[in-house]
Amino acid sequence: MALEDYRADALRCTRCAYCKWIPLDLVKSWRFSKGCPSIEYNHFHSYSAGGRLVTALSLMEGRSQITAPVVDSVFKCQMCGNCDVACKLCRYDMEPLEALHELRFKLVEEGHVLSRHEQAINSLEKLGNMLNKHRAKRGQWAEGLSAKDLTKERAEVLFHAGCRLSYDSDLSQVARISLEILGGAGVDFGIMGEGESCCGGRAYHMGYRQQYLKAAERNIKAWAEAGVRTVITPCADCYHTFKRLYPKAGSQVEVLHMVEFVDRLIQQGKLKFGKKVPMKVTYHDPCHLGRQGEPYVPWEGKEKKIFGQAVVYEPRRPRYNGARGVYQPPRNILGSIPGLELVEMERVKEAAWCCGAGGGVREAYPEFSAWTAGERMEEAASTGAEAIVSACPWCERNFLDATEQGGPKMQVLDLMELVQQAL
Amino acid sequence: MALARDAYRKLEEIVGKEHVTDDPAFLDSYAFQWLAELVRPKQSHFMPRPVAVVMPASTEEVQAVVKLCNEYGVKAKPISTGWYHWAAPLKEEDDTIQIDLRRMNRILEIDEKNMFAVVEPYVICAQLQAEVMKLGYNINIIGAGSSTSIVASACAYAGPGPSTFWMGNNSDNVLGMEWVTPTGEIIRTGSLGSGSGWFCSEGPGPSVRGICRGALGSRGAMGVYTKCAIKLIHWPGPPELEPQGTLPGYRLPIPDNFRVYTIAVPDWDTWADIYYEIYDNEIGYIFHRQFNLAGADLAPALWLTYIDPDKTLGDIEELLEKPEIKELTEEMRISFQLILAGRSMRDIELQDKILDRILEETGGWKVKRFCEQDMAEFTNMYLQRMGHKHMNFVWVGGYLGSWMQSGTPDWVKGYVPIAIKGLERDAASGKLVQCGGDALMGCGSQLGGGGMTGLEQFVSYDPADPESVAAGTQHMVDAVKDAVSNGFPPGKELLYLQVGQKDEEIWETLEKSAQPMVYHFQRKIKEAFDPNNIGDRMYSILPEEKG
Repeated sequence: MALEDYRADALRCTRCAYCKWIPLDLVKSWRFSKGCPSIEYNHFHSYSAGGRLVTALSLMEGRSQITAPVVDSVFKCQMCGNCDVACKLCRYDMEPLEALHELRFKLVEEGHVLSRHEQAINSLEKLGNMLNKHRAKRGQWAEGLSAKDLTKERAEVLFHAGCRLSYDSDLSQVARISLEILGGAGVDFGIMGEGESCCGGRAYHMGYRQQYLKAAERNIKAWAEAGVRTVITPCADCYHTFKRLYPKAGSQVEVLHMVEFVDRLIQQGKLKFGKKVPMKVTYHDPCHLGRQGEPYVPWEGKEKKIFGQAVVYEPRRPRYNGARGVYQPPRNILGSIPGLELVEMERVKEAAWCCGAGGGVREAYPEFSAWTAGERMEEAASTGAEAIVSACPWCERNFLDATEQGGPKMQVLDLMELVQQAL
Repeated sequence: MALARDAYRKLEEIVGKEHVTDDPAFLDSYAFQWLAELVRPKQSHFMPRPVAVVMPASTEEVQAVVKLCNEYGVKAKPISTGWYHWAAPLKEEDDTIQIDLRRMNRILEIDEKNMFAVVEPYVICAQLQAEVMKLGYNINIIGAGSSTSIVASACAYAGPGPSTFWMGNNSDNVLGMEWVTPTGEIIRTGSLGSGSGWFCSEGPGPSVRGICRGALGSRGAMGVYTKCAIKLIHWPGPPELEPQGTLPGYRLPIPDNFRVYTIAVPDWDTWADIYYEIYDNEIGYIFHRQFNLAGADLAPALWLTYIDPDKTLGDIEELLEKPEIKELTEEMRISFQLILAGRSMRDIELQDKILDRILEETGGWKVKRFCEQDMAEFTNMYLQRMGHKHMNFVWVGGYLGSWMQSGTPDWVKGYVPIAIKGLERDAASGKLVQCGGDALMGCGSQLGGGGMTGLEQFVSYDPADPESVAAGTQHMVDAVKDAVSNGFPPGKELLYLQVGQKDEEIWETLEKSAQPMVYHFQRKIKEAFDPNNIGDRMYSILPEEKG
């Protein structure tokens, strides 16, 4: 696809501004009614999905050029997908998030890049991770744990830790706990250790399509060589990349997030919690596990018109609108833990406010990223919960940083940590 | 055109550098507006670009910006949530500063005892409704839906909606305004102007409602409204709406003291009779002909598709072939939605009995499928929150409204067959969506307590297809002719068309209107309040030598 393929989307945008809010039916207060961090932080219409579609149209029509403000407006967005959900509440013929990706691809391909993104991409290309860390240290988190090394052995199930859990010492216990759970369930699995490579998803979201594709091809090849049929990851970013993006690059493996795997064990009676965890917690839906976590459906087709002008697609186009995200498995797990009380925030599931880390914002716009996380922490604190629980290390890193930077003081936990406490 | 650099620097000093822009792509995001392609040269989707966009955060900053516009002879065009082509600058030759009010987004006060709330321009209906429902109150949400600005609908437009029948228009419900006039004075209207608070729009204190808004509202052409007080209405439902189900068709459970009905009638005479009966018997909380916006041939299939998350528009053709859908389409060809709300169980039971009696006496009926739990709960969600109004654009992203003249039901039913025939004729080429000639939608009443209604013809066109856009424009021209040749005044389509017309064309229309003197009075008002002409022509006037 190319940006030009989304010209009709831009022309058919009606400037209704739904993209700025959570689905309006779900609004419960003034404070937590906003859906788009970018427009809330930056205000000009160009910082909304609708505004960016106009930017795309304006560029395509030669009405304007790529200027510093344009670059800023295109990249100062987490690509969280709230706009996509809100737009599709009433539209079947729009793909705003896809169009925004194409706009980023165009800017990057024409050399309009951010230096901090360039640093991360260089790290990806040279070191296999987005964090500028030594390749040799990628497997250190698993030291002392028993797992097959799938760079040398074969297994049908691969546990993929991801860049953040591999290198972030505050969070890497989540990967260790996950391994213990997999081992306890009797799964024949392995890890890639220092041979594991970044999924490439963050490169994709920054607009670096070619670099993402290289990462995808590298991983798909490594999995094939190891006989992998299922990939399990505790990282929502990796999950989305493997589940939604890799199939287009040829991957056919089953993809599970750890919350899906644990929920499955609970439903099958293979995992029972014996200990009480007397806590009041709230759950943050990661964008890439929630509204963007819907399964990929292959489609190749074209637009056609019925009733004169109504737009439909032949064959029927899959609809990614956030309705089928991974919302229930984490809640099932939380509901199964004795003594634990889940109190929901106002913006949940498809309407969840982003943690602020995605889309290259954490790398390029740290203040905006921290503000976004702080907003979520305020919402979490308003529930009276002691802890905010999530299922993505990028969200958790951003929340931890927000806490340290003056946000509400509350625990930040990964769901797997609660599972461990309850076992 | 460009703004003088010293003027730009002054804007930066007023609001801060980060809140003013003249980047061409940013300006284009304000020039791009719904309906533009129907009236602009070469079907451009862009209205004229503003020379700058500025985002003030306070009344004082708005005042300073407006004074700057006077100083430099530049037009000022405020925008809040922003919808309609007239929200943008109107003429290429007029240098215009767009004042984006989105930083003025606070609910300033909710006075529970005196039943009003004070809000800034970027507070949307959904936000205020959610807050006041916690206190047992509600607000009238306008037909354009809950993503819209309360200040805009109350101070600068008419503000009718599905709940107007019970709650009144927002232009009726405004209890006071803070108005930065076109010369940069700040006027606080009604009781607020005498220091007595926000309880009454007409006094004690200056009563200028008619001056600053005219009949329809000044639509951004007469200064900037920076605050208003809006009347709160009794809400007999739960303190928080708790939607259920999966998007897009969220459902709102129906409390015991509510009823949600889709009601159908055999013909338009019965339609008018039932409307009068509902007015006379004072039943109902929300009263609207909503679902027919999709067109009478397609509406039942569309809405049943919509509430099924696994279906898309591509499923509708197949659905239409089913005998039960064909039957349903005929059953509810002339239908509307009515939500009853009781202040007690006895009250709702009485309203229910009255409605049954009305149906019995007039020959109307409840549409069984649309009164079943799934559709009734969806209807309840849709009409209580008005959070799906973008469905206006569901077919292909382009919609224009024609007709919509207001009057008694008997008068409105007079133009219904003309409107239906007109759309059938104009859609026959296939360049407009063919959804049945009747895509007429509108409030059960545009007056609190009932008495006046109106039906807007929903015409869908493809903004990405030049031939379809041309058909949309032609339909508007045709609708004006249809109305005039049948003795009706032109409808909403004329308001749309005028945005693209020359001054002389507009004056000619105003001269021929039923009350041309109104536009001379409005000229006098403009001369007094806007001597430097910083407002655009959305505030309609006639030159002295005309008419």
